[in-house]
Amino acid sequence: MLQTFRPYVRKFPQDGSWLRCALEGAWKPAMSILASIVDAVEAHGRFVERQVARVRNDPKWRDQILKRWRTLRAGASNVTTPTGLKLPRLALPQTNESGEIARYLYGEGLPGEFPFVNGAYPEMYLEGDSAAGISNSKSQIANRKSQIVNPKSKVANRKSEEPTRLFAGLGLADDTNQRFHYLTRQQRSIRLSTAFDGPTLYGLDSDAEGVFGKIGEGGVAIDTVEDMERLYAGFPLGDEHFSVSMTINGPAPVILAMYVAAARRRFGPDTVAKLRGTIQADILKEVQAQNEIIFPLDASLRFLTDMVEFTITHMPRWYPISISGYHIAEAGATPVQQAAYTLSNGFAYVEWFRKRGLDVNQFAPRLSFFLDCGLDIEYLALARVCRKFWAVGMRDVFGANTKGQLFKLHTQTSGRSLIAQEFKNNVTRTAVELMLAYINATNSCHSNSADEPFTTPNEEYVRLAAQAQAILLEESGLFKFMMNALSGSPGMKIVERALEEGILNEFREIDRLGGVRAAIEHRYQRSQIQAAAHRYEQQINDSTRPIIGLNRYRDAGDKAPAVKVIRTPRQKKQLQLDRLMKFKRRHRAETGRALDELSQVVESGGNVFAQLIHTVEHCSLGQITGRLHELVGHYRPSV
Amino acid sequence: MKAAAMSNRQSPIANRPIRLLTAVPICDGHDSAINTINLEFIRHGMEVIYLGYHRSARDIVRAAIQEDVRAIGISSYNGGHVEFFAEVLDLLKKNGAADIGVFGGGGGTITSADAHAMEKKGVGRIFFPGTPLAEMVTFVREAYGRTRKGRLPKGTPNRRPSDYDLARWLTAAEAGSLQIANHKSQIANLTVGVTGPGGAGKTTLIDELALRFLKADGNARLAILSHDPSLMGKGALLGDRATMIYSQDDRVFMRSLATRGQTGGLSQGTARCLQLLKRSGFDLVLVETVGTGQEAMPFGRELADKTILVMSPDYGSRLQLQKIVMLDAADVVVVNKSDLAAAKTAAAEIEQRLALNQRGQKLISTVAKCHRDEGVDALFRLLFP
Repeated sequence: MLQTFRPYVRKFPQDGSWLRCALEGAWKPAMSILASIVDAVEAHGRFVERQVARVRNDPKWRDQILKRWRTLRAGASNVTTPTGLKLPRLALPQTNESGEIARYLYGEGLPGEFPFVNGAYPEMYLEGDSAAGISNSKSQIANRKSQIVNPKSKVANRKSEEPTRLFAGLGLADDTNQRFHYLTRQQRSIRLSTAFDGPTLYGLDSDAEGVFGKIGEGGVAIDTVEDMERLYAGFPLGDEHFSVSMTINGPAPVILAMYVAAARRRFGPDTVAKLRGTIQADILKEVQAQNEIIFPLDASLRFLTDMVEFTITHMPRWYPISISGYHIAEAGATPVQQAAYTLSNGFAYVEWFRKRGLDVNQFAPRLSFFLDCGLDIEYLALARVCRKFWAVGMRDVFGANTKGQLFKLHTQTSGRSLIAQEFKNNVTRTAVELMLAYINATNSCHSNSADEPFTTPNEEYVRLAAQAQAILLEESGLFKFMMNALSGSPGMKIVERALEEGILNEFREIDRLGGVRAAIEHRYQRSQIQAAAHRYEQQINDSTRPIIGLNRYRDAGDKAPAVKVIRTPRQKKQLQLDRLMKFKRRHRAETGRALDELSQVVESGGNVFAQLIHTVEHCSLGQITGRLHELVGHYRPSV
Repeated sequence: MKAAAMSNRQSPIANRPIRLLTAVPICDGHDSAINTINLEFIRHGMEVIYLGYHRSARDIVRAAIQEDVRAIGISSYNGGHVEFFAEVLDLLKKNGAADIGVFGGGGGTITSADAHAMEKKGVGRIFFPGTPLAEMVTFVREAYGRTRKGRLPKGTPNRRPSDYDLARWLTAAEAGSLQIANHKSQIANLTVGVTGPGGAGKTTLIDELALRFLKADGNARLAILSHDPSLMGKGALLGDRATMIYSQDDRVFMRSLATRGQTGGLSQGTARCLQLLKRSGFDLVLVETVGTGQEAMPFGRELADKTILVMSPDYGSRLQLQKIVMLDAADVVVVNKSDLAAAKTAAAEIEQRLALNQRGQKLISTVAKCHRDEGVDALFRLLFP
């Protein structure tokens, strides 16, 4: 196949207009990478059509592709369902027409094959045939699991780790730790996902002015490396089957530095290279939607790149960024906007890292993605289209190898789709969204709890949310026997094409503005998201968007539900302050020096992340962000 | 000080639009709902001063008092609302501004029990998710439609009024019911007018100047009079505060005016408000116009001691440049966003134009969005040698 490597600078217009433009000062020679991505996606479409025509017109090619097709069919292993049905492990289209076969193989690809429309990997949720599974592994987790009497772990022999990953964070580090242990009792593999409280997300200490009420609300309060030790106490951080995800952006480098420091404290320096997990650290979507950026964009990107540079070298199993559409969608974006802004942000990061001299094939496999999954019909195919765009762009524009072409996806069901009225309906909403997420072959998934419109979820609803995933993947036969059982319906394909066109149009618009960074300065993404949010609200208001229990079939007698609200008690908030005060007092002598050393690295252009791992030994989060603010300023909000 | 005399002690603000301040609390970036609600309030003729997200109770209360708003609307999504609303109410009370109403709402994290407790403490109303926007508008009209109960502060504007008194007098001055005698001798400060097209970065530049100003002198005080466009009898979004970082400070008094149909970049009440601010003991008064066009010349000598024209390099062709009349009037021309490709051409063209004027006008290139930008440093030194 022809590997087109496209130039980054667009050609000058041939009609001499470039001269006019240049003279008027309005023409900007540096064109955005997105124009090349658009070209590459369109070129790929033409390539597929050429293959279709070729196999139809050329008997030699036709024979070749039919032979491959027969081999694929014959080669697929079989599975017998409990009802005695014999099925292939891989579902393929029922066609023997060479053109359609070419369209499928080149246009969608088998699961795990370019352009990865059907999945990043060949076997996603299939359960293995043999009794061999991770329970035979020698790892600490497997040992721990085998000691627990859990019949599930005997039954399910998934070939890879289960995709369920549940987000949690409440109160102080000890409370969240307890919740983590509770959650993983119901999981076969230990995949933690951490939510932080407001002060932590904004890089503030719990003793900052006016934040007392926010300590431990909506997430866990982390001020120091000691909190970080408490947060994951009892978990084997360096174990090959343990991974942790941290949802934090503005102060992400400081928080990850605390994690690394905590792991070193507990397991020694050799653990660092084994650490496995993800930190969100997606600063572009913060500017566009979520508003949790604290340093100016240039400084934020520099700190991020330092962290990426460090992890790809020293923590090869770490994902240092999770390029996120979730918050873009939750802020009100349409699914097309979600996909377009997430993908374009992703390409912008790749361009940025490359400019810093990082090797695409080293960092691209360490990029991961995070999308929202709601109830709009676009979600029938959104992730499928994203995988293709990423693969084509990374291969044909950035020259990435196969590992660097994979759009590795974490999905979360839509929080915005959940409502307070008759809130138990939220279980159904989440179930439908989960189904869509798995039809789209997500690599991991968080399902929201029905009580989330009011509170940090109670254990009862967390359990329902977790088990919804188990019901879908383990109890139902939809995903565990056959790969791709639900892909490729006519409707899905129509949605795919519509999405593709929508995303390309967004790319063209962003390119016209000069690329992602320039579009941000024009407030393009923000204004589009806000306009979409406004439309959404109006649609609910005038009932053109039905929300059951809210603007349709509303129960007049529906009262506020009697759900237990989880709050962090005053004494606990006070305890956090006391701990922080003690830490600061104990480290009083070293704090100033540690901050000065950090300043030196910031000013001299060294790797800030590598230094932060030492700084966090003596300084709190707030002390560090305070010093960084002095050096690089504050982010100026865009509204 | 007897420079000012009030013509009317009664509240003069019967027919002016309802002024509200809206914000999202500290450590909370959920601004999707408040953006929609702001638009709805504006559509119904209200003037909304939007303070933005991640704002402390202190910043909110300071702004509400300075802006002399009728009420504060707070949209809270990620917890801690009971404490946060209580802090806002408490600070209002401490500053003698308990007559400013507080209402709010947010995600389902605010339970009905919370709402009940908050309303008991003095919150006007908590709205739950799913509340029709019309219901909020009706509530605001009914609860805050009448003028504030408090009379104008007793006494006369003096050299160092409290934020509260100054804000109330400014309201009267804006409406034209507070006359201030003009005694030049008592003005000891510097008033700088800042104008230029929309999007050139005036607000950012002013905020960066504020940072330098506050750092340079630990006691100095700054006033900012900012303008946003509105039509007569219509609502307006006064959003400059939302993008300001360093001006959220007890030593900065900021007031946002809607132009209410006045053309030229300022409001009808600007001159009166400025007279009052000039006599209120500030070391520097900055006046920001709305984004202006080529013909605008908002500042006469009676308004500002110095004027700055802020431009972006992408003004178009040299011909366009010839039409900008402020280029002849401004004391300082700032080419902001000088990191853009066209900046060098712009600086060269403007320099030629200023040279022709032979008035000793200064040209400075800045990148105000950059922390510690040397161009902004130079501008600050020019204003405060």
